[in-house]
Amino acid sequence: MMAAVKVVRVRGRGVLRAEGAIDPVIIQRMHERGIQLLTGQPSAAAGLGALFRPSDRVGIKINTIAGRRLSTPPEVALPFSKLLAQAGLLEKNIVIWDRTNIELKEAGYKLQAGSGLRIFGTDAVGAGYTAEPLVHLNIVSLLSTIQTDFVTASVSLAILKDHGLAGITAGMKNYFGAIHNPNKYHDTNCNPYVAELFDMPEIKTKHRLTILDALVVQYHRGPSYHARWADRFESLIFSLDPVAADFIGWQIIEKLRKAQGLPTLSEDKREPLYIQTASRMGLGRAAVNDIQLIEEDV
Amino acid sequence: MKRRRFIQATAGAGLALGTNFGTALQNLSAFSQTANLSHVEARYYKKLPDREIECLLCPRKCRLGDKERGYCGVRQNDEGTYYTLVYGKACTMNVDPIEKKPFFHVLPQSQALSIATAGCNVNCKFCQNWEISQVRPEQVNHFDLPPQAVAEAALEYRCRTIAYTYSEPVIYYEYMFDTSVEARRKGLRNVVVTGGHINPEPLEALIKVVDAIKVDLKAFNQDFYKDYVRGELQPVLDAIRIIGRNKRWLEIVYLVIPTLNDDPDQARKMARWILKEVGPDTPLHFSQFHPMYLIKNLPPTPVSTLEKLRLIALQEGLHYVYLGNVPGHEGENTYCPGCKKVIIQRFGYEIKKIELKGGACKFCQTRIPGIWA
Repeated sequence: MMAAVKVVRVRGRGVLRAEGAIDPVIIQRMHERGIQLLTGQPSAAAGLGALFRPSDRVGIKINTIAGRRLSTPPEVALPFSKLLAQAGLLEKNIVIWDRTNIELKEAGYKLQAGSGLRIFGTDAVGAGYTAEPLVHLNIVSLLSTIQTDFVTASVSLAILKDHGLAGITAGMKNYFGAIHNPNKYHDTNCNPYVAELFDMPEIKTKHRLTILDALVVQYHRGPSYHARWADRFESLIFSLDPVAADFIGWQIIEKLRKAQGLPTLSEDKREPLYIQTASRMGLGRAAVNDIQLIEEDV
Repeated sequence: MKRRRFIQATAGAGLALGTNFGTALQNLSAFSQTANLSHVEARYYKKLPDREIECLLCPRKCRLGDKERGYCGVRQNDEGTYYTLVYGKACTMNVDPIEKKPFFHVLPQSQALSIATAGCNVNCKFCQNWEISQVRPEQVNHFDLPPQAVAEAALEYRCRTIAYTYSEPVIYYEYMFDTSVEARRKGLRNVVVTGGHINPEPLEALIKVVDAIKVDLKAFNQDFYKDYVRGELQPVLDAIRIIGRNKRWLEIVYLVIPTLNDDPDQARKMARWILKEVGPDTPLHFSQFHPMYLIKNLPPTPVSTLEKLRLIALQEGLHYVYLGNVPGHEGENTYCPGCKKVIIQRFGYEIKKIELKGGACKFCQTRIPGIWA
């Protein structure tokens, strides 16, 4: 019998201040503790050192489609990039990225392309998409050259939230932001497209780590922000298994929906079946008994 | 006639710049600018609770949350209002012979100012223009060209028509509609080249402001539409019926792809359907396929296959059945259904001879349907 895969949920009580700002000390601790628990190493630097080679060029794919209120914020992404640097990676070999510069700016990022940490979108001058579409199963897309050419390893640092078409969006669907035509894959609740996109060699072989930003979880009417259905969940979720991370994220959203008397995503005809599809494709695990969920408060 | 090509945005430009980031990004000093997209409210959609919308323009009826885009990639829900992002944002503009569209019964030998924006509401595996049809507007170069400027350009370049073509004009509906109105004010005609994925209400409104519509009927079975088009056959047939019922000039093109949609029985069924629904005077073009985009493993359509399908359609009673992409073939010519003589002789996009007088055959006076003056 295969050992259960680990998913770590670290809750940072008080990480969201009253006015919504993120406490930098607590978020730092959340990252460190999450990586420690996930990797079993004594420190986050050691843990990340086990996941990445010093020569790696690491892409931190974030999700900035929904503006400042519901995107992976700099307060979450930047501390993680610092941990990578502490693990021995060169800052110039770390890029925080998404589709466009404008979305990055709207989410609060300062674009950077100098000799240190890099932050830019696929539409930045010098980046772009592959010249020809890459074909894999039902996927026919141009991929961001950040993913195909620049990075040797990637982290999906995604927002966990409800999604009107896909059911939920989390770590795997975050890679929709790496292709030029995500709108072509919204049919049938994005199934099997999310799984098939993740299965592309350019993504699957480089993906090392999923971190779900669940500080504020939009559990209904996503992917945009609606205060009425946004929960201050104050958590980060870590896993080396991209499917298990999304599966746990899905369960969290279902629980929050149930607590508010909302129908399940299945009842809403939005069950994220792509998670099961991904599991069947061998991309990871999507069953409670296959997952060891470690929860800790910091 | 000399073809003047005066503006063409490089399709795909900006899609694939330098990939050697190790070097390129060292020198990165300027970031891309905010995409210059339009923010014009769409005309066919329904507002739903909680800032959701349902698009009513095409049969997909995309239901979208805030910040999401439709399948076409050029319409976006922004705070519960649905916007077209490509109004006045042409990504290509050329002067083409109208025969290139192809329209064989509309103002022969005339030039059509042809425009397109990015985007499409289907995803054909054999698309000839995927670099503009299968991308979002911010991923191609485009320029500001409001409706009035399009009409003025058409006059300047002595075009008699404006053609909405190349990608899928349904997805830039508002731009096409307003340009058509502007063009008519200036005495120009409007022709539309479409896959026919459009709902009845917007189509009926559009028909009132355009003069001719060419529909690409990509096959006569749903399986092909599902597997190779990512669309539906029935709405296309409905659109053809509506165009015919409204007596707007209609031509149908059928791209024949070896082994995929070249079945003679299907062609016969299609010809019978056209005959019954829109009549024998509707021109039908069987066009030769050439390998491209995602279907590169099939050869060009044998001319003998095209000839066979043409013969079937003629036998079924259609009067005007043409071959496309086979320059010099007799199937390019228009024959009078009365005296069987050649009344328009073509070579590719060139007109060699026209034997029409007042819209009738010069030899036997049979009326030839179309827009001739």
